[in-house]
Amino acid sequence: MTHHEVEKYRKPIRVLHWIHSGAFVLLFLTGLILFIPGLGFLAEDSWTRVIHRVGAAIFVIIPIIYLVINPRSVARGLKLAFTWNSDDIGWLKAAPRYYFLGDESGMPPQGEMNTGQKMWWFIVVVFGVLFVITGVIMWFAKASAPPALLQWMVFIHDISFIVSGAMLFVHIYLGVFHPLMTDAWSAITGGKVSAEYARKHHGKWYAEISKGKEEA
Amino acid sequence: MAEKAILYDATKCTACRGCQVACKQWNENDEVIPTEENGVASKNWGSYENPPDLSPTTWLKMRFTEIEAGGKVRWLFTRQACMHCTDAGCVRVCPNGSLYHHELGFVAYNKDTCTGCGYCIDACPFDVPRSTRNIITGIAKMDKCTFCTTPGLDRIAEGWEPACVKTCPTGALKYGDRDDLVAEGKKRVQTLQTAGWTNANLYGENELGGLHVLYVLDDSPAIYGLPVSPQISAATIAWKDAIQPVGWAVGGLTIVGLGMNWLVARANAKKEAK
Repeated sequence: MTHHEVEKYRKPIRVLHWIHSGAFVLLFLTGLILFIPGLGFLAEDSWTRVIHRVGAAIFVIIPIIYLVINPRSVARGLKLAFTWNSDDIGWLKAAPRYYFLGDESGMPPQGEMNTGQKMWWFIVVVFGVLFVITGVIMWFAKASAPPALLQWMVFIHDISFIVSGAMLFVHIYLGVFHPLMTDAWSAITGGKVSAEYARKHHGKWYAEISKGKEEA
Repeated sequence: MAEKAILYDATKCTACRGCQVACKQWNENDEVIPTEENGVASKNWGSYENPPDLSPTTWLKMRFTEIEAGGKVRWLFTRQACMHCTDAGCVRVCPNGSLYHHELGFVAYNKDTCTGCGYCIDACPFDVPRSTRNIITGIAKMDKCTFCTTPGLDRIAEGWEPACVKTCPTGALKYGDRDDLVAEGKKRVQTLQTAGWTNANLYGENELGGLHVLYVLDDSPAIYGLPVSPQISAATIAWKDAIQPVGWAVGGLTIVGLGMNWLVARANAKKEAK
């Protein structure tokens, strides 16, 4: 078997991923304090709010910069993430057996983005937008908006926090700890996965990218 | 210990605003020139009411209301300050317990630990707490009436009455055991009713579990600009009693589920390797 590797994530995407996720983790941790009264002392004198806002600025500005520099990449990602077909339904059915028991018999071949990754994109996009809208209102309209509106903004912000936070655990777990996701970490750090991994985990995509090479 | 309270009788108040001054003086809340930067813009809006609103350094102010009834103008005065609720929205939403109930029933707070989130401001049914807030950085601190229990300036612990009560020249403000004041308030209401003020009522006896500031009013609370039946907002309950526990449940179950997945998947991977 050859040991050659294929590129999964180009460098700009990896940089975007790490800055954006770094900002999210910062936002997550400084927000989590509101759920842990015992850690409230960390928030005294508003310092975690200042950090939260620095994180928020990065969280918003970096994707916008990326969008301006590379709109096609964003459009392509969104298209991949929001295009579903029968293979995705098959994935959902087969996933429990695969992720628990390692049984890949029922798994339909996946494209560049598998169904789980598509769902994560959905979470990131939908709740990212909700985070930003509610956050901007709480930030800039704190002294002017009606109290009830501000209270519901906190409510929606916190629902987004709970859903995307729980899914962040799943995302980190699959990328770092799951025994079968052997190349996920190297994909997002160095950009490459082994051809073997690409073939097994992203069969349709691997067929596409290797077609040209075989002919060459 | 018996709960304490303040009884305010609107029918005895002349709106001299001595209480406003005494409050500022005792609590070392210096007079501020009303400007936009100080959080209280000043403009002539046809009222003797001054300053126009509560602020982080104005914990008590008299509200002036003009109404027309029976062809006559009535000039009504109300005390605007923390009502020290038993079921206090601010205490419910305070994320780290900076706001809490004093042993005598008041709503006290620890300014040092206040994070400046401002949730109390949005949760208060009486629109009382105020904060200094830098809108860009979000650095903020909340302030409101402490019932003269501010550490170092604690009149109550000394057995004294609050500064506003102490200074009131007409006896419109009275401090004492809450039960006694409820009884006295009811007596005054009865006197008013016999005198022809049929709408006279005691405000605060049962509102929000019982307020620690009771009002004797000669007309309905609405006319005085008070919420007729103040409630803890749905958003307060949704956030504190639903979102917070749900958050812990979802986060906890996710981690437990992932841990179980890891144990099962690793065992299977090892079996496969053999």
